[in-house]
Amino acid sequence: MATLTETRKPALRRELEAIVGTSGVLSEPDELLVYESDGLTLFRALADFIVFPTSAEQVAAVVRLANREGIPFVARGAGTGLAGGCLPTEGGLVISMMRMNRVLEVDYDNQIAVVEPGLVNLHLSWAVGPRGFYYAPDPSSQQACTIGGNIATNSGGPHTLKYGVTVNHVLGLEVVMPDGEIVWLGGKTRDALGYDLPGVFVGSEGTFGIATKIVVRILKKPQAVKTVLAVFERIEQASVAVSAIIARGLVPAAVEMIDQLTIQAVEDAFGCGYPRDAAAALLIELDGLVVGMDTQAERIVAACREAGAREVRTAADETQRQLLWKGRKSAFGAYGRVSPAYMVMDGVIPRTRLPYVIGRVNEIVAAHGLRVGNVFHAGDGNLHPNILYDPRKPGEEARVMAAGAEIMKVCAEVGGSISGEHGIGIEKADFMPFIFSAADLALMQRLKDAFNPRGLCNPGKVFPTRKSCVEIGPVAYRPHAIETQGLAQRF
Amino acid sequence: MSLLDKLRAVVGQAHVLTGVELSRYVIEGRTPEAAVLPGSVDEVAAIVAHAMETGVPIVPWGGGSAIGVGAPPARAGLVLVLTRLDALVEHEPGDLTATAQAGITIAALQAALRARGQWLSLDPPDAARATLGGVLAANASGPRRHLYGTARDLLIGVTVVTADGAVVRGGGKVVKNVAGYDLPKLFVGSFGTLGVIVEATVKLRPLPDAERLVAVRFERLQDAGVALRNLLGSDLIPNAVDLLDGPSAGALGLPAAPATLAVGFDGLGEQVDWQVAELATVVVRCGGAKPAPLAAETWARLASASRDAFDTPAAVMTLSVLPAVVAETMEHGAQTARKRGLMSAWCAHAGVGHLTATLCADAPRPDPAPIAAVLEEWRAAARAGGGHASVTWAPLPVKSALPVWDEAGAAGRLMKRIKAQLDPNNLLNPGRFVGGV
Repeated sequence: MATLTETRKPALRRELEAIVGTSGVLSEPDELLVYESDGLTLFRALADFIVFPTSAEQVAAVVRLANREGIPFVARGAGTGLAGGCLPTEGGLVISMMRMNRVLEVDYDNQIAVVEPGLVNLHLSWAVGPRGFYYAPDPSSQQACTIGGNIATNSGGPHTLKYGVTVNHVLGLEVVMPDGEIVWLGGKTRDALGYDLPGVFVGSEGTFGIATKIVVRILKKPQAVKTVLAVFERIEQASVAVSAIIARGLVPAAVEMIDQLTIQAVEDAFGCGYPRDAAAALLIELDGLVVGMDTQAERIVAACREAGAREVRTAADETQRQLLWKGRKSAFGAYGRVSPAYMVMDGVIPRTRLPYVIGRVNEIVAAHGLRVGNVFHAGDGNLHPNILYDPRKPGEEARVMAAGAEIMKVCAEVGGSISGEHGIGIEKADFMPFIFSAADLALMQRLKDAFNPRGLCNPGKVFPTRKSCVEIGPVAYRPHAIETQGLAQRF
Repeated sequence: MSLLDKLRAVVGQAHVLTGVELSRYVIEGRTPEAAVLPGSVDEVAAIVAHAMETGVPIVPWGGGSAIGVGAPPARAGLVLVLTRLDALVEHEPGDLTATAQAGITIAALQAALRARGQWLSLDPPDAARATLGGVLAANASGPRRHLYGTARDLLIGVTVVTADGAVVRGGGKVVKNVAGYDLPKLFVGSFGTLGVIVEATVKLRPLPDAERLVAVRFERLQDAGVALRNLLGSDLIPNAVDLLDGPSAGALGLPAAPATLAVGFDGLGEQVDWQVAELATVVVRCGGAKPAPLAAETWARLASASRDAFDTPAAVMTLSVLPAVVAETMEHGAQTARKRGLMSAWCAHAGVGHLTATLCADAPRPDPAPIAAVLEEWRAAARAGGGHASVTWAPLPVKSALPVWDEAGAAGRLMKRIKAQLDPNNLLNPGRFVGGV
């Protein structure tokens, strides 16, 4: 891979401007800084150029130029990723998709929409909402994250328990391949012809090409929704309740768990009505037909009570429901009240191992002299331990990293995975051998070579790194430029 | 040592079939060189490695129920029969997941799961014969895919033996997992061309309290099309929405009305009752009869209804179209066949735009030319609506008269690159699949 020399850059800038216009290229150092990290600010890398195409043809032209020069490129959406997946670890081009943000077509009869990758996730639901439809995958960052970014990481969210993750909602994509060719994978029909190329493209973390149009399914909004809060004296009881709900033959739309530390942070920040002295709470949502909703809610309540819930209450109206969800969705922001920084983990375990693993997580973090808040998708076993720390204290960041690796190991040992929805990116690349053998990784590498033979498209991600090739690694936390200017805070 | 001797050393004399023992493994008139029945994953790996050394192609074989799908093999080589690998490895009801070996039949798997109140929400035809591995490799599905999706939505982990004889795992045992590339998606519907599936982990669902299948008859196919559109736009949550023409309805023993919607519901008893009543109000407005209950046995026969309409079908085609054009695709398709003096039967998982059409000629050895012409016209119609169509069963003379699979264009070139990466010597089911991969 070529490194750009300073003398080469002006000529390259002119060529990029010829493709995307003068307002579509950034290369000043202060401008590049804005794009040096994603939501995980522990990792940083600077690009040589940020490019803002407005069409597939422009993306293809930029990619062909990068190929000619032999320089790496990576697509970027809103930058809300949590694994460093969109970082230009080897320099080159960041191709921002934020100017390609239109809903191109909505076909209500066939319940599909065609969108551009820079469209914000929630904006799709807004666009189809008036006709009674919505887009199901709902990552917690859905007010900011883009559909294209969701494609890269195969994003989930609370309601994926019942409705599936991003890949279950994508039928086809127009893709600029790593060599610049524009190719359709799948289409508008439910079944793709031949290999399931949309299926393997989704979740490939930007290493298989750049999606420029996306065909997604849109769903009818359910007739009715019911939200239940179950409060427990012990966290094990809440874990047992999750299995008890499943055992009663129920598949709720969402089952989220919130532990005591998180409840207290949320109550301090927003006052959502969670009992501060509870060890854990489950937020359970049912949706579907009006008929049968009460019967299902009764089964949920019974399962929670049997597991030892001290209180089970149902949101009486939409305002109460929104307040309960606010507690869940704002939890990450609320940690700011109790800690200057935190590191979010994303392990997945078989649901039945929840009591054991939650116990182990708390032990591991305590052994490293740290605190942890747990707020996660309990229904599908997707943990989010948030390890709290102070980056100004020497050595604390290293202890966070060590505790995180131990937690990943526990997830792997119980037959789980190291990522449920955030992706591997740079952050977890070296943990891949916890769950995959050399042969497993070799097959993945061959698949990558079929899509991306030169390796210019988002290099240095997903696969374990050869230590020497990247300068990047955990560095001491320092506030991001936009944080010091008071323009934003981490959440 | 010859290949056969090496295979006998791996699996034992009794599990290598040759000569007359191969009659049940004949593929499109071609007799394989041998059939081998491994008893473990390691044996599969050893067999594949030996076959690769000697350059003998491999045809993975489950229940054989989809072996006629696709292009005929250039050389039958070695049939690798997976039916001895039929163990349910693990079923943890609290996790709603199960791991099973590839050779377990769908019927046996469902029976074991049902005993513990759960099921795999995949209902391909021929469940007593079709194996889990075969169903995944062929991406077979049934009527309940309307609500529960297809194999790609249910497979969370897969173990395959790759062309070099390595045992490789993709995905995992948990229901949500984005670590690494999604290898399970790659192997679903790959027809044994990228590796031999030996074990799979799937998501399960709890058995519903109640389930009911009802039929609504229409005097005109286009009225059924309107009813279908209104049904899909309603608040109802059917688990199946199938559309049958007269011959297909007849094959199920139903009155051969021009169109029959078969609609399924599951859930709590009160939910099923309410939905069936509500369905009546939706369909009656469009000229449909009152929903009539169907026997539970009908479920398993819906997917193959069009094929079962004729004793001697001339060809079967599967078409993928947008749900809104299913009824008109049926209507025009039947006309196309009639114009060339052929009969046709149509059935569809209409809510997801998946049609199966069977052609029949009133002659013992029909001329393949008009049959191929009709199939080409059907394909053109599917393509015109943004879909695609492939021949899923036909005698050799028909298969050689037109491309069996639809044309995949630029994506087809990518598929060839994937095939070349994973099977560089082209020995796994060579030439069987889309674009000759």
